[in-house]
Amino acid sequence: MNRTILAFLRKELSQSLRDPRMRIVIFLLPIIQMTVFGLAISTEIRGIRLAAVHAPADAAARQLADRFYASGWFVPATGSGQDPYRLIASGRADAVLVAPTGGLTKALGRGPASLQLLVNATNATKARSIESYAAAIIAGETAPDRPGAPQPGIELDVRILYNPAMESSIFMVPGVMGMILCLVTIILTSMSLAKEKELGTFETILSAPLRTWEILLGKTLPYFLLGLADAVLVLAAAVIIFSVPVRGPLWMLALASVVFVAATVGVGTLVSTIAASQQQAMLGSFLFLFPAVLMSGLMFPIENMPPAILWVAQLNPLKYFVTLMRDIMLKGGDGRVFATNLSVLVLMAAAVGAASYRRFRQRLN
Amino acid sequence: MRVDFAPGRALAIARKEVRHVLRDPFTLALALGLPAALVVFFGYAIDFDVRDITLVVRDSDQTRVSRQFAEIFASSGYFRTVEPSPGSGVLRELDTQRASGVLLIEPDFAQRLGGGKTAEAQFVLDGADNTRASAILGYLPGILRSARRRLLGDVPAERVSLATRFLYNHELNTRWFVIPGLAVIVMGLLAIMLTALTVAREWENGSMELLLSTPVRPSEIILGKLAPYLGLGLVGAVFIYLTARLGFGVPFRGSHLLYLLLSLLFLTASLAQGLLISIATRQQQLAMQLSIITGLLPSLLLSGFVFPIESMPVFFQYFTSILSQKWFMMISRGVFLQGSGLSDLARPILGLGVIALFLLAMAAKRFKRDLEP
Repeated sequence: MNRTILAFLRKELSQSLRDPRMRIVIFLLPIIQMTVFGLAISTEIRGIRLAAVHAPADAAARQLADRFYASGWFVPATGSGQDPYRLIASGRADAVLVAPTGGLTKALGRGPASLQLLVNATNATKARSIESYAAAIIAGETAPDRPGAPQPGIELDVRILYNPAMESSIFMVPGVMGMILCLVTIILTSMSLAKEKELGTFETILSAPLRTWEILLGKTLPYFLLGLADAVLVLAAAVIIFSVPVRGPLWMLALASVVFVAATVGVGTLVSTIAASQQQAMLGSFLFLFPAVLMSGLMFPIENMPPAILWVAQLNPLKYFVTLMRDIMLKGGDGRVFATNLSVLVLMAAAVGAASYRRFRQRLN
Repeated sequence: MRVDFAPGRALAIARKEVRHVLRDPFTLALALGLPAALVVFFGYAIDFDVRDITLVVRDSDQTRVSRQFAEIFASSGYFRTVEPSPGSGVLRELDTQRASGVLLIEPDFAQRLGGGKTAEAQFVLDGADNTRASAILGYLPGILRSARRRLLGDVPAERVSLATRFLYNHELNTRWFVIPGLAVIVMGLLAIMLTALTVAREWENGSMELLLSTPVRPSEIILGKLAPYLGLGLVGAVFIYLTARLGFGVPFRGSHLLYLLLSLLFLTASLAQGLLISIATRQQQLAMQLSIITGLLPSLLLSGFVFPIESMPVFFQYFTSILSQKWFMMISRGVFLQGSGLSDLARPILGLGVIALFLLAMAAKRFKRDLEP
């Protein structure tokens, strides 16, 4: 191997890893973060605080409320029997089930009865889930993913592939892995060059008899390797802690990670060739990271975005990596999906690499 | 040692910090323009509805009734039927991501339905993406109900019907819920990043030694470093507010004064978080790593912005209380949509206040320790 590159490698690695706090940030924090997010986040709405407002003697209403609580989605709210609107306004209940005036028991005696459900719709998606849960309970149905009494007429047997229990960790981990790799590599790379610029040591490097590509490779290769080390660590933690399945071949996983880390290191380098100071490098990285994380498909579906915004999302390397990870880990790695997403990532890595190289040369001349 | 606080010295630090920001137009433009720009962009981009779900129908019955049944899925507005790829199994359709769901209709579907028996169909769903899968699962009962109504016609009327009223957001406009939340995320992150490098930079450049040799007290430095960014953050917050109100028509039902004061409190907490990181690390690269790691992902994933805190395991419902974003998220949505007042928000205000005070005190303490060798 080229001696210059090796020297760079030694210098950059010892510079980044000398500080024990940095070692923690690079190697330990990613694992902690992934564990926390994997454990904490649930995509299913649960623990909905429901208050039932009815007369104490109203047996039918009480029975119905008990059915809500028995469903597992709803928990009793504190302080029922008050003004339903106050219960929601004060934040003590997410939903209130209001029996008809005169009581549900009496109303049922006269024929079909109607109940009112007040829902706090401050969170619109949660409100929608609450309504569909309530409708299912009222209709005496069980949710499609829970086995229950078959309905007469038409029966729809629902099978969920790849993640039958809909475990959040299996869904979150491939995404969070990509996010963490993205964060670590981009910040490290972009700040390292900016730091040399700020301290003036960059001029020294430039005046040394080195080729452009040697400097560029020497400044990026160490972070590429750190990124890969993180990929292995996070993946191992995911498999050990969450028993996330890896159904596809390992070489696919390795290749996808290598190309993705190359692309993110490239983005970091590009940011640092533009930024004049570390502060600018930080804001520049943020400008990339924030949209990339939001549009990774983890928090909201990207397919439905307006067309003008959709093409911005198509430029997001994280999106392709998350697709690849899900494809390989959960679906066993379909060749076509792998090839298309990987080639997009290869193109991106090549494009940002070429762009950084050009900006770098401009500076030299 | 008595701490005597001289406003003049704090002012001098603040003036220096203002000049520093003004000299860097890139940072200034980002600090002022970025919040509103991000809110506009993501206000348009974020949409939780899952539509155009690709569906492959494998109809083994091939009768009028079975086609009608498949048609009910297609006309529901959620699904888009795609041609099955010839010769490949159900699994392949999902593996290759040609489809997110496959509807399999059993051969005797029409016959059984006509004979008063239970007709069977199977729905195979791609569960690799939980948010999509749970949205699709939520659509199925409604589709099945309308299928029963159309194909059987004689569904007995339900004895109990439900009239749902959505309070505060009658039409379930997701923007109304996304934008006040986005405001919290963007304001918080920007504030953390603004101060995260200030002290670390001075240590790295060696100017901190100079500053320490002057009679300036730690509290003065901290205040002087916070105040200009507080102003900058507040201007950003006003831009966000205007974008939300004028650009997206998000209602504002609470008190403006209350929101302003609590925004100041939240900005203080976030700026103090950045400052604490800066003081504790003394190194810009590390400071940035820590501020993005403690800022970006936790505020997006654990603040209740998208994933409700009530759905988390009990431990994390408490654990998330250390995030100032969680409390201000409750405040922002409450004041914007519910018109919550001081008494409704007592708990979040208390939480936010405690965090702000704690971070400020920690920053001052760490800083003082640095000063006294």
